[in-house]
Amino acid sequence: MSDVSPLVILVAAIFTNNILLSSFLGMCSFLACSKQIPTALGLGAAVIFVTTCTTALNYAIYHGVLAPIGLTHLYFIVFIAVIAAFVQFVEMFVERFSPKLYYALGIFLPLITVNCAILGASLFMIIRQYNFLQSVGFGFGGGVGWALAIVLMAGLRRKMGYSSIPKPFRGVAVVMLITGVMAMAFAGFAGMMSIE
Amino acid sequence: MADRPPACGPCLGACDGKGLATFQGGLLANNPISVQILGVCSALAVTNKLSNALVMGAALIFVCVGTNLLVSLLRKVTPRRIRMIAEVAIIATFVILVDQLLQAFYWDMSKRLGAYVGLIITNCIVMGRAEAFAMRNRPLVSVLDGVANGLGYAAVLGLIGFVRELGGNGTILGYPVLAAGPDGWYVKNLLLVGAPGAFLALGFLIAIANAIKPPAEEEMRP
Amino acid sequence: MRRDIYTALYAAVLGTVCALLLTAASVQLKPYQQANRKAERVRNILGVLDVPFDKKAPWAELEGVYRRNVRIDGNGANELYNRIDPEGEVLSVGVPLSGRGRNGPIQGFLALAPDMRTIRGITFYEHEETPGLGGEIENEQFRKKFIGKRIAGEGRIGIRITRPGGAAGDGQVDGITGATMTCRRVERMLNDRIGVIVAEAGHGG
Repeated sequence: MSDVSPLVILVAAIFTNNILLSSFLGMCSFLACSKQIPTALGLGAAVIFVTTCTTALNYAIYHGVLAPIGLTHLYFIVFIAVIAAFVQFVEMFVERFSPKLYYALGIFLPLITVNCAILGASLFMIIRQYNFLQSVGFGFGGGVGWALAIVLMAGLRRKMGYSSIPKPFRGVAVVMLITGVMAMAFAGFAGMMSIE
Repeated sequence: MADRPPACGPCLGACDGKGLATFQGGLLANNPISVQILGVCSALAVTNKLSNALVMGAALIFVCVGTNLLVSLLRKVTPRRIRMIAEVAIIATFVILVDQLLQAFYWDMSKRLGAYVGLIITNCIVMGRAEAFAMRNRPLVSVLDGVANGLGYAAVLGLIGFVRELGGNGTILGYPVLAAGPDGWYVKNLLLVGAPGAFLALGFLIAIANAIKPPAEEEMRP
Repeated sequence: MRRDIYTALYAAVLGTVCALLLTAASVQLKPYQQANRKAERVRNILGVLDVPFDKKAPWAELEGVYRRNVRIDGNGANELYNRIDPEGEVLSVGVPLSGRGRNGPIQGFLALAPDMRTIRGITFYEHEETPGLGGEIENEQFRKKFIGKRIAGEGRIGIRITRPGGAAGDGQVDGITGATMTCRRVERMLNDRIGVIVAEAGHGG
């Protein structure tokens, strides 16, 4: 994987290997926060920011600290700690500079810590042996892909308010089905663009 | 419920009499996936084969039980301010343990599950049970809660894994059931194996769960 | 103030205990994990070279079989895994493959007859292809299709993986339904290596 351009990884992470639609990461907050477009946008932006920064941070820590002293088996715990600390920082930052966004995201900002998309991006980066730029490209692309999916879903859910859905399918079930259809649509990108 | 004799006599004291209710809650009435919609990521990602789903379920039971036990044992000495971080540290410890064990003794499976074992850390079920249950209850009943929720999770994973492997490959645990291949009559439904099939299978499963036991009205609005 | 100290102390103790526990576990389990890793590679090499061996055999036994049957020749980047008979005669040649798949890197081995012209076997491991689609490259039925194909022929160098059911003649192999992308990548990975082999054979005379 050493010679793939970071740009290609970025685009692939958005479309062909969308972190949510093909790797299933970040489903919990995807289901919980996709009811309104503004919330989805805000959370999406936060996820893009956090994933990009944490993949870079985690890359530096993994290859700069953990690997030299032979503690790579602790990487799960270190990654999650880095992510938690970073989210805490973002939370304080948002609260200070955009109280409106802070209230809109409410309790979901801390939930980013347990958003598997963010930890997942860091873990995939290690498993796929990306280099630094590729990792950042993957983190950014993964975040954008996730944000794209949640914003699209928020738009669809707003339209869905006007449709009559069979009773058992109301709520999460229909969202899951629509996500499935979205995943099919995104699978179509595979022919257009891929990790070349 | 009221006039039923105590359900788990032997552990009555330790369970505060909540044994059976706890167990049923985790397994059925409040099933983490189909009712509470938690821990969906791995439910989707690893269920293209039944064996993957079952191992993942077992790993989650282990992590959930271990975490609940430790969190419950430490609940009186844990400072409230850092309890979340403490919970995450305990969860991560058990997850790394599972990952290391799989790598040592079940290499093939460890490779197939890949990053998703590590992602148990962010599985809301474990965190949710530690925070909502183990933090407030005695160790024994917390372990029971961990077992029940883990089993509930494993059961749903197994079900989805069963449907996807049977439909997608015509096999169950690798044994051919529906004759697929060049001479067989069954055409593999490749959609089920891929990502979209996972979403569809879980969507229908939740709908079926809703049809059997309708959720509260407000949750139904999309 | 005392609460702060307690909190810090608690965090430190918990962190240390967890880290110690995991490090102990990791040190204990490392030999097994490394054996697994080596065994997987060796199993793939033995498999592609068609050396009979017990799939469930422990590493120690596997290592013996490997030592007896396989000799590593060639230099660093161009290692050849030769299957030899007890007299040291080369029976078939294993060549490592590596390249990109649709979802991630793919590693594999290609086995050739000693004349370096005919494929004796191919195997893939360490891949992230979609199970049931691209993942089927692991499947024996797909891998068997390569056996007996010649890596170069009339005006061509390399193997073509066609659409499913489209293979005609030597040097063509049926692809996998629903895995066009993976097949194309595998084809490229294979042909890159074949190109090198043919070029080297040309130099040698």
